[in-house]
Amino acid sequence: MRGAIWARALLEGARAAGGFPESVVVRDGTIAGQAYRAIAVVPHSGARFPRARAGEFGLDEGIGVAEAVRDAPPDAAIVSIVDVPGQAFGRREEAAGLHLSLAAAVEAYIGERRRGRQLFSLIVGKAISGAFLAHGMQSGWIGALDDGGIEVHVMPAASVARVTRSSDDEVARIATVVPATARDVATFARFGALDAVFDVADPLAPAAGEIERVRTAIDRARRAQLGTRAPVERLQSPAAHAHRALAREVRRRVDQAW
Amino acid sequence: MQRIVVERSGGVPVTKRAHVGAVASGNLEVLCEPPAEARATIVVSTSVDGFEPVWRATLERFLERYPIAAAIEINDFGATPAMVSLRLEQALELAR
Amino acid sequence: MTPTALRRSYVESTPRERIAALADPGSFREILDPFARCSSPYLAEQGVVAQRDDGVVVGRALLGGRDVAAVAVDGRFLGGSIGEIGGAKIARVLERARDGAFLLLDTGGIRLQEANLGLLAIAEICDAIVALRERAPVVAVVAGRVGCYGGMSVAAALCSQIIMSPVGRFGLNGPEVVEQEAGIEELDARDRPAIWQATGGVRRVEQGHADVLVEDDLDELARALRDAFRASPNRERLSLERLRNRFAQEAPR
Repeated sequence: MRGAIWARALLEGARAAGGFPESVVVRDGTIAGQAYRAIAVVPHSGARFPRARAGEFGLDEGIGVAEAVRDAPPDAAIVSIVDVPGQAFGRREEAAGLHLSLAAAVEAYIGERRRGRQLFSLIVGKAISGAFLAHGMQSGWIGALDDGGIEVHVMPAASVARVTRSSDDEVARIATVVPATARDVATFARFGALDAVFDVADPLAPAAGEIERVRTAIDRARRAQLGTRAPVERLQSPAAHAHRALAREVRRRVDQAW
Repeated sequence: MQRIVVERSGGVPVTKRAHVGAVASGNLEVLCEPPAEARATIVVSTSVDGFEPVWRATLERFLERYPIAAAIEINDFGATPAMVSLRLEQALELAR
Repeated sequence: MTPTALRRSYVESTPRERIAALADPGSFREILDPFARCSSPYLAEQGVVAQRDDGVVVGRALLGGRDVAAVAVDGRFLGGSIGEIGGAKIARVLERARDGAFLLLDTGGIRLQEANLGLLAIAEICDAIVALRERAPVVAVVAGRVGCYGGMSVAAALCSQIIMSPVGRFGLNGPEVVEQEAGIEELDARDRPAIWQATGGVRRVEQGHADVLVEDDLDELARALRDAFRASPNRERLSLERLRNRFAQEAPR
């Protein structure tokens, strides 16, 4: 729901672009007079693969996103609207090679960015695991709504408890001592992974002023060319200096020895 | 999680570094280095609590049999005493 | 064909033995080896003893005279999972590599105990692979017991060439994860023959998901790796047209 709502609301004068699976919403419009393409993966109960009907990133979604990115209008920047509960878990998906579908999307994003197209992401709901890796993480600028419904993680919460054979309380306790395992926006922002966080009273019904603040931030970032930054550049942020110090130290020591 | 330290003075110092094993179920990692002083120091980190007497017996027996001086670190994930002895001997073979 | 008795098994070798056997003899220089004691500070709190190299071996080596980055993920430690340190090691050597890289991937993907730090690292690794492969070969080997899953399967799919053995398995979600998330009627993780048939090296090469199939033998792998460095990169693997046709065959009727 959130993905479709924000994909509709974010751009001015947006029109749906055709030729994509119904689970991939693609809209072309403008912000402050400049062209953008918004892309969201949304639930579609009629999706032909049953394991990808609730908004999961599945076989068709990877191809759809890759195509939407690659074939975006030449002057358009891309905004990936992120509300993905995870990748599709299924036998058919594994046999056909779901990892290739995700990789096709990743390759499309990286390729466009390296050719100079600006990429922006707006997390409006869940940003989980391979789905987020394939749709959103390669952007030069990533913003997120600040809301209890936002979740950034590598696994759905219930699965973590099952896999680690711990209680929900224990998983919650660990998230407080090992922030990398937390799911909330503020903790993810600590790692320098987010460029902006937006207060929104109701993410399902954003007010005009709230949408305008997001547009203004994206427009500023575009004018500053932030959309072409590679993921590694996030390590330069003050937040990463403080909370990804270990990754920075490892990189420094590799350089020293190389 | 438990930490166990066993020390013994004297012994012939090892001359090289050696690394064997892995922190995998039923396995352990051993890092063996020339010591700063003429003594053997073995520091164990294990994820399985409650086996301190078994550890002490196994490590004392090893040092009894091989009177070396070395700084040894063990990172364990539930290895049996036989596996511990095997890894220590493999490390020693490479280190002296 | 080497007689079986003289074979040196990749599966039975350690990550360092694997790199040593595949690189030009004596050329591998490890960076941040176990004695650097650069290991995860996040595990003790979660009841796990850390391995001193964080389960990732990286360094610089020669391969057929080329100056390359070598990476081997240790599938024995926490399922070959990628955390903050191991992820940064891989990303940085890929960024530094001159004439290419080879990655021996025995990995379940992101380390759950370091969740979002692993996720951030894998996004960097994907970008580094694409940047490097534009000017030099990046070859992945999937031939270990764990296989190659999760975020690292996406990274592997971006490589110029992929070598597999019949032992290797290659997919996004491991069978246990699919069974857990989708139920045993979707997939029975204990049905090992079916799993290898669908996601093992033989099948993946047949499908064109991987490029070369070799036996579980270090000498054969060393030859295949050199050949892969000379081969032109596979640009068909992620062709949308091809994937679309493949997926249409899998769609339920």
